Amino acid sequence: MNFFRGVMGGQAAGPQPSGAETIQKLCDRVASSTLLEDRRDAVRALKSLSKKYRMEVGTQAMEHLINILQTDRSDSEILGYALDTLYNLICNDEEEEQDEAMQKQSDDLGAQFTEQFIQDPEHITLILSLLEEFDFHVRWPGVKLLTALLKNQGVQVQGIILVSPMGVSRLMDLLADSREVIRNDGLLLLQQLTKSNAAIQKIVAFESAFERLLDIITEEGSSDGGIVVEDCLLLLLNLLKNNSSNQNFFKEGSYIQRMKPWFEVGDDNSGWSAQKVTNLHLMLQLVRVMVSPVNSPGASASCQKSMYQCGLLQQLCTILMATGVPADILTETINTVSEVIRGSQVNQDYFASVNAPSNPPRPAIVVLLMSMVNERQPFVLRCAVLYCFQCFLYKNQKGQGEIVATLLPSTIDANSISAGQLLCGGLFSADSLSNWCASVALAHALQDNLTQKEQLLRVQLATSLGKPPVSLLQQCTNILSQGSKVQTRVGLLMLLCTWINNCPIAVTHFLHNQENVPFLTAQISENLGEDERLVQGLCALLLGICIFYNDNSLENYTKEKLKQLIEKRIGKENFVEKLGFITKHELYSRAAQKPQPVFPSPEQMLFDHEFTKLVKELEGVITKAVHKSSEDEKKEEEVKKTLEQHDNIVTQYKELIREQDAQIQELKEQVATMTAQSEQMQTTVTQQLSQIQQHKDQYNILKLKLGKDNQSNSQADSQVNGLQTEELTQLREEVEELRQQHTLLQTQLGDKDALINTLQSETAEGSAAASDNTELLKELEALRSQVQSQSVEIDQMKTERQELLRKAEAVSSEAVSSSDGSLDAAKMAEVESRLAAQTSETERLKEESKSLLESRAELEQQLATATSTVAILQTEKAKLQTEVQESKKEQDDLLMLLADQDQKISGLKQRLKALGETVDDEDDLDTRDQTDEDEEDEDEDED
Amino acid sequence: MAYAYLFKYIIIGDTGVGKSCLLLQFTDKRFQPVHDLTIGVEFGARMITIDGKQIKLQIWDTAGQESFRSITRSYYRGAAGALLVYDITRRDTFNHLTTWLEDARQHSNSNMVIMLIGNKSDLESRREVKKEEGEAFAREHGLIFMETSAKTASNVEEAFINTAKEIYEKIQEGVFDINNEANGIKIGPQHPTTNSTLPGNQGGQQAGGGCC
Ligand SMILES: Nc1nc2c(ncn2[C@@H]2O[C@H](COP(=O)(O)OP(=O)(O)O)[C@@H](O)[C@H]2O)c(=O)[nH]1
Ligand SMILES: [Mg+2]
Repeated sequence: MNFFRGVMGGQAAGPQPSGAETIQKLCDRVASSTLLEDRRDAVRALKSLSKKYRMEVGTQAMEHLINILQTDRSDSEILGYALDTLYNLICNDEEEEQDEAMQKQSDDLGAQFTEQFIQDPEHITLILSLLEEFDFHVRWPGVKLLTALLKNQGVQVQGIILVSPMGVSRLMDLLADSREVIRNDGLLLLQQLTKSNAAIQKIVAFESAFERLLDIITEEGSSDGGIVVEDCLLLLLNLLKNNSSNQNFFKEGSYIQRMKPWFEVGDDNSGWSAQKVTNLHLMLQLVRVMVSPVNSPGASASCQKSMYQCGLLQQLCTILMATGVPADILTETINTVSEVIRGSQVNQDYFASVNAPSNPPRPAIVVLLMSMVNERQPFVLRCAVLYCFQCFLYKNQKGQGEIVATLLPSTIDANSISAGQLLCGGLFSADSLSNWCASVALAHALQDNLTQKEQLLRVQLATSLGKPPVSLLQQCTNILSQGSKVQTRVGLLMLLCTWINNCPIAVTHFLHNQENVPFLTAQISENLGEDERLVQGLCALLLGICIFYNDNSLENYTKEKLKQLIEKRIGKENFVEKLGFITKHELYSRAAQKPQPVFPSPEQMLFDHEFTKLVKELEGVITKAVHKSSEDEKKEEEVKKTLEQHDNIVTQYKELIREQDAQIQELKEQVATMTAQSEQMQTTVTQQLSQIQQHKDQYNILKLKLGKDNQSNSQADSQVNGLQTEELTQLREEVEELRQQHTLLQTQLGDKDALINTLQSETAEGSAAASDNTELLKELEALRSQVQSQSVEIDQMKTERQELLRKAEAVSSEAVSSSDGSLDAAKMAEVESRLAAQTSETERLKEESKSLLESRAELEQQLATATSTVAILQTEKAKLQTEVQESKKEQDDLLMLLADQDQKISGLKQRLKALGETVDDEDDLDTRDQTDEDEEDEDEDED
Repeated sequence: MAYAYLFKYIIIGDTGVGKSCLLLQFTDKRFQPVHDLTIGVEFGARMITIDGKQIKLQIWDTAGQESFRSITRSYYRGAAGALLVYDITRRDTFNHLTTWLEDARQHSNSNMVIMLIGNKSDLESRREVKKEEGEAFAREHGLIFMETSAKTASNVEEAFINTAKEIYEKIQEGVFDINNEANGIKIGPQHPTTNSTLPGNQGGQQAGGGCC
């Protein structure tokens, strides 16, 4: 403030400088001072004057301030002051105590400065680039300034931001700012930015606005959140309202599902603050935007579907039936449910199944209708219920049937209150609003539904005791003629018109009552006041329908007779004029705009939306019908016939188209499944190809190995399909070794035999036939024969083994020859070429896969052959192994036997010694044995 | 519906080359001979499968007219893929490719996958641009190329899916920063995030984002 004081205080002695002068000086400083600090102080001073001297600062300093923004980019402080000052100039503070004139003056000033500022679009770009500055002192006032500019000159500023590259996405970044003030003011900025500009709305959505906003709403506590939630919801509304592209994006992004938790407010009744009510209101509006009747039917339908699938509709119905919900939230929830179910069979069916948690449970529809015909309920709530009922019946023949059925004698249930009872009660109550609502509701149960129009003719009402029952149709006309309130009569006339329209039987029923036609003609022909004009018009319409849909079954009231009646009693022109009163009514076009019944006041509740469509459809044809002569009529009849024929043809074509549509649908599905199948098959094919390749590789390796085995007869040492040829070789070697051992053992046996023989002869010679001796000899004999037989066995085994080895070799050579080269290669080549052809011809996938499977089977067979070869080899190997094992064991036994024999021999020797015979020394014997063995070993080695 | 990845696409090119028809054919499998002129940008979406993974494509169809260029530019940065379309029966649409490409390269992120599409391949008799020319242009500028017909649906699926495959490969190679949604890629809700599944991951380090 030094500088400021200097300027102001320095001239205390002289005359007080005017604001303008001071500001001029400050401007000069800003413009010419080379010192940043100087400039900064001057701008700060301008800021402090900018509210009081808004006009002066604005006119004199704007240029300089903008200059600062361009040149002093490095000093965030001065930038902040400049932005603040500009904000003060441009923003129109809406101060409460200001009177209107002051506010106007302020607004004008804001507009003027805004215009001045945006004259050069570069200035907006400048602000946009400043918003990239992270410094709070720059970003925050920047956001506020841009918001103020948008508020004052929305369209132009939007246009500039739209064409500046990255303009919108920079502003979107504000939502990610961790400083809440900036994020929240960013929301306000985006609200202004997206106002009525579809292009910007789409870019903002593209920049992930939905995701961000929904996240913020959740973080802030959904409906329990504060004003930030409200701001997010307002921005969402801006983005979605009347923007089908964004709505589609919202739906496709699965964001509808994220709305469901918003409505989990149920019965917890943690209080309904004003903010919560506001938030919920906006949330309900957002749901409605997605399913609004003004959207394209397809778009609404798919949103309705996902609202049911994700449970949003169910959640809304819970609120509908909950207690303690504020009336306006309840009303808006009813309106929302209405649009979520409108024209969607699944949702309508669900709605029909909803019960109120009362005892006993009552259908929600009944509970709602009770409110509709209850005078004490708020008007808007009653309108909402009517809307809900209309939406429930819209394009819902099933629902229409169910409602009408509650009135029919055969299905009526006396024990509980039904929708039909409530509607009849409403029709004939003393409250004209109830009369009107019930009439319109019942009319919707008949809309485009000939069956129900005819069914309703059967309904009889019990009046007072002792009097005969009267038909519903009759009762309606009775009330009509009693001259009740306009609202009541308008309601009943709309019901009657809807009822007998396009239904000759109903027309006949109506005409059958002798009082009806005179009543109508009287009403139409009279010259009544303004108030009665609409009723007159509706009476003309009803009479017109009686002519147009007349099947001439009543002699007194044929088409011709009725027309003559009009001519005589009313006059054609008069009739047409009265008919025109309907569409000329001031409230008619309002109702024609949208389906929801909304009326500024209960007295203005006169037209129903669906009924306006009926009027539009009938006005012209009735006018023509009345004007036509009987000859014309005949011609008309003919034309009608041809038209009917034409209609028939059209119907036929329609049928055809429908059939074709179904076919196309079916075919599409087929195509889809086929594509899926084809994809699957392709993967199978690929898998099979690689399997086949694997098999081929394995097979080749096998072939190679077997070939090698055959060639080298033994030494092959690589692995074939898990089998080690090495083992075979080893086995062979073992066998060889065993054979050698056998020979050795046999020689040993021979030696021992010889030894025993010598010993025996010695014994025979040297001893006097001791009794023990013969026994011993016998034993020895037995032993010898045993040894002999064993050696025979061993011999047998040897030959057997030889044979086995031969066989094994034969088998392996067989395997090689069976898969002989060229033949096999040819087969492979064939398979390969076939496979190649198949993959290229994807259209004929079925054929392909069949042949593929065949070729695969072939290959598998080949593989199986190879595998079985291997298996044979493996069994062979196993056999050999057991045999080797066996012979080993036998050898062991043999050795044991030999050891025994040795022992016995030494025992014998001992005895012989004891008997006094001279025997070779044991040691000698052993040594000799040893030498023999060594010699034999050496011999073998030399072999 | 759950998806592993979400890719954002834009479709660009001169007006009348068949951008909107390509989108309609891809999303709704139908062709509309009389199509409204696109005003600004229209949105469409579809799910596809790549490598056994569900991938959601969100597609913004832009207006080709010069007056909408600046709006179109706003979509480049946030897109992971772009279909640049010309009409093989109109040479001028082919001649304008360079301008389109310059615009795209200038305003998009550098990893954006661009697929060049020569549309209306069913109109062989009226062909003005040879397939080889398209191929050459694509080769020269490093684009993938394909001729399509929005009318017969020929190659339409492939055009959208191959673009997605290319993006998917780039993700696998680690070229795309998938955590930055501004690149037009989003990881699906059920996708396991590598960090959170690590055991013993100490709390409090998420703020810094960095790991030791
Ligand atoms: N024969 C043929 N006509 C096409 C094809 N694609 C689009 N069209 C037609 O080209 C015109 C322009 O298509 P549109 O999609 O609106 O072009 P956009 O301006 O690029 O969106 C329309 O009349 C289409 O019917 C195609 O593949 N073959
Ligand atoms: Mg288009």
